[in-house]
Amino acid sequence: MATVSLSELLGSTVYDASGVVSGRVREVALAPQEDRSRVALLIVKTPAGNRMLPLTAVSAINGGIRASTAAAEWAAADGSEGLLLLSRDLLDQQVIDVHGRKVVRVNDVDFHHDSAQNRSVLRVGGVDVGARGAIRRLLKGMVPAAVLRVLLVRIPPREIPWDFVDLIETDPARRVRLKISHERLSKLHPADIADIVEDLAPDEREAVFETLEEGVAAGALEELAPKVQRAVLESLDSDRAADIVEEMEPDAAADLLGDLSDERTEEILVQMQPEERQEVAELLEFKENTAAGRMTTEYIALPVTATALDAIETMRTFEGRMENMSTVYLTDSHGTLSGAVPLVKIVLAPSSTPLLALAQEPLISCHEDAKEKEFAELFDKYNLLTLPVIDEHNRLTGVITPDDVIAMLRAKL
Amino acid sequence: MKFLRRWKFRFLLFFAVVGPGFITANVDNDSGGIFTYSQAGAQFGYALLWTMIPVTVALIVVQEMSARMGAVTGKGLSDLIREEFGLRVTFLMMLGILITNFGNVIAEFAGIAGSMELFGISKYISVPICAVIVWLIVVKGQYKGVEKVFLAASFFYITYIFAGVLAKPAWIEAVKATVKPPELAAFKHDSYLYMVIGVIGTTIAPWMQFYLQSSIAEKGITRRQYKTSRLDVIVGCIFTDVVAWFIIVACAATLYLHGNHDIRDAADAAQSLRPLAGDYAYILFSLGLFNASLFAASILPLSTAYTVCEGLGFESGVGRKFSEAPAFYWLYTALIVAGGAVILIPGIPLVKIIVLSQVVNGAVLPFVLIFMLFLINKKELMDEYVNKPAFNIIAWATTVIMIGLTVLLVYGTVRGGTG
Repeated sequence: MATVSLSELLGSTVYDASGVVSGRVREVALAPQEDRSRVALLIVKTPAGNRMLPLTAVSAINGGIRASTAAAEWAAADGSEGLLLLSRDLLDQQVIDVHGRKVVRVNDVDFHHDSAQNRSVLRVGGVDVGARGAIRRLLKGMVPAAVLRVLLVRIPPREIPWDFVDLIETDPARRVRLKISHERLSKLHPADIADIVEDLAPDEREAVFETLEEGVAAGALEELAPKVQRAVLESLDSDRAADIVEEMEPDAAADLLGDLSDERTEEILVQMQPEERQEVAELLEFKENTAAGRMTTEYIALPVTATALDAIETMRTFEGRMENMSTVYLTDSHGTLSGAVPLVKIVLAPSSTPLLALAQEPLISCHEDAKEKEFAELFDKYNLLTLPVIDEHNRLTGVITPDDVIAMLRAKL
Repeated sequence: MKFLRRWKFRFLLFFAVVGPGFITANVDNDSGGIFTYSQAGAQFGYALLWTMIPVTVALIVVQEMSARMGAVTGKGLSDLIREEFGLRVTFLMMLGILITNFGNVIAEFAGIAGSMELFGISKYISVPICAVIVWLIVVKGQYKGVEKVFLAASFFYITYIFAGVLAKPAWIEAVKATVKPPELAAFKHDSYLYMVIGVIGTTIAPWMQFYLQSSIAEKGITRRQYKTSRLDVIVGCIFTDVVAWFIIVACAATLYLHGNHDIRDAADAAQSLRPLAGDYAYILFSLGLFNASLFAASILPLSTAYTVCEGLGFESGVGRKFSEAPAFYWLYTALIVAGGAVILIPGIPLVKIIVLSQVVNGAVLPFVLIFMLFLINKKELMDEYVNKPAFNIIAWATTVIMIGLTVLLVYGTVRGGTG
């Protein structure tokens, strides 16, 4: 198996079955619908116009492309429907390196070349993003090929395997035809996705957020810088934006929507499911720099009579985030906050233990109108994992989680 | 305290409105700008004032194009050149930008050296210290905070307006010279041609287009917010050129009038102002020059490193560590070290170097404009935001004129004319 690069293929001479020079390679194309990495055809510039030479009709690649068919049989290249043109779509463009978790620019494309029974098979091995590819392209045709090869061997390659490359395509129709799905990207941690997305141009961000699965998109959106969050939500269709916002933590969603224009917030809210909409809409009423503005409404609250087993049962069906379960709250029939039980105590206690017996003393809470500084101090003083928020009748209305406090404090650093 | 807080609030409010356009335009009046305009005034009196109106129009058009491309594509100019024209073309362009901007960096250090010499501080002390300061500001990630200080300090530019007024110029003559078209016969002199290219090159410097477009894209300004940015650009450009006009007038009314036609160093420019406008203008001149030079010295190497690394696909950004973006940091460091080192060469003619760097700006400008014009007229890239015909005409005219002037100058130099 040999290696050949895109820059070497482009411009190389093509001989037809009779050995006559019939043109030069103009493009190397994949058909992602059929195979993600195998080269489907070459576009050859001939005196009669651009022709498509299927790779199945190529018998050799080294020392010029040898075709096993006559030039007259090659179909005219009109349109590139469903084709990924490597020189146009990939070379010099930005792609996502899913393994290295960053955005990189493609200097060259490397192929693995196999030939058996007079048939050539070219597979994309990876993209070159280092100096080797860059120098090869800069010096091609300016120094003798042999000298260039000796020189290049000395440069350590920086190659991203093709399996770790995620393409960015801003045209939705082309995304479908080229089977670009960001499947690998969506497996990364939301914070890493956010870092990558922040390095992209607005259109490209929009493209990524249109393609990612909603839950993943919501997680990544929460991690973006507020400025970028707003830009992304502004750019998406309102129903798509609503789908993503629904999946976000209600407090994060409310913070974000609160920063958008009233019209836009309204457009998105209307498209949301009634239940999520109500939660977010309620939170939107609060001022952002108060406890109520920072709290989440996804928490576990049980009656004062509940046992440890009840708590565990409830957790099994809880749909909110894991960290919101770290404390279970107890409320009486009026909704008044009566106790807070740490998860660890519940797990360690026999299952019939009444939760009230496990409650933490003293019961720390803060009022809805409490300022950021106040509740941050409570977190610090009592080393809290979560902080319950109450209204003027001591009714539990929400919970502040540490991620909100850390984000808030970091913004002030 | 309360007063101070309110004052601080107002101050911050002002900078929330001031955008990349105003900052870019302000940095435009760097030491290269100040000396080139001064030299223009000293050498030719009011005779180059006619350049100010057309150059302002061209500056607004070109900067508006950069801002628009940044807002619509969300990408830097070197990114776009790379994506649309490929690696080789980008490499050559980046090489050109690197050389041109290196000249500008040298000019900034020359400005630092010159302004500090006025206070009796040797360049062997001021230049290394300032180079270290500039390097640290960026590497330690403090640039954003420091930028506000620089920007506030750039109100020193208003001192040029004072200096101009205090020098008691012949107002009517100056205004006439501003609106009257130039005599074609003047272009036969190489020194005149050289100065025209320098004035245009320093006003519409190539680095500005890269810097502005990246700033707009990085700031996340979108098509929708773009109108505010356009205003920001226009106000910035006009402010810059009003200051430039006053520098030329101030020097014409003093240096030129007294027969001092050649500025050799900062002391020359400042000292000739001293007998006429007193100690006041003299101190302001040097402080203004120092601030302008230090401001530009902290932007130019950084902007150059960004531009080149983005174009060539190296990791870049002050958010990354040295080990993550070695090419970026090395390039940045090399520009500062080498730029400072050139100025430390004993007996180097500071002002000549500065003006030469601005002439190189002028000669490289048309190439940048050609790329911009091709990019901004691409429908796939710009949608309905492609250039309107009037913009194309002005930008192409600027390009053609600059090529024409440069060719004339090169022809003149080869023929053996005096520079």
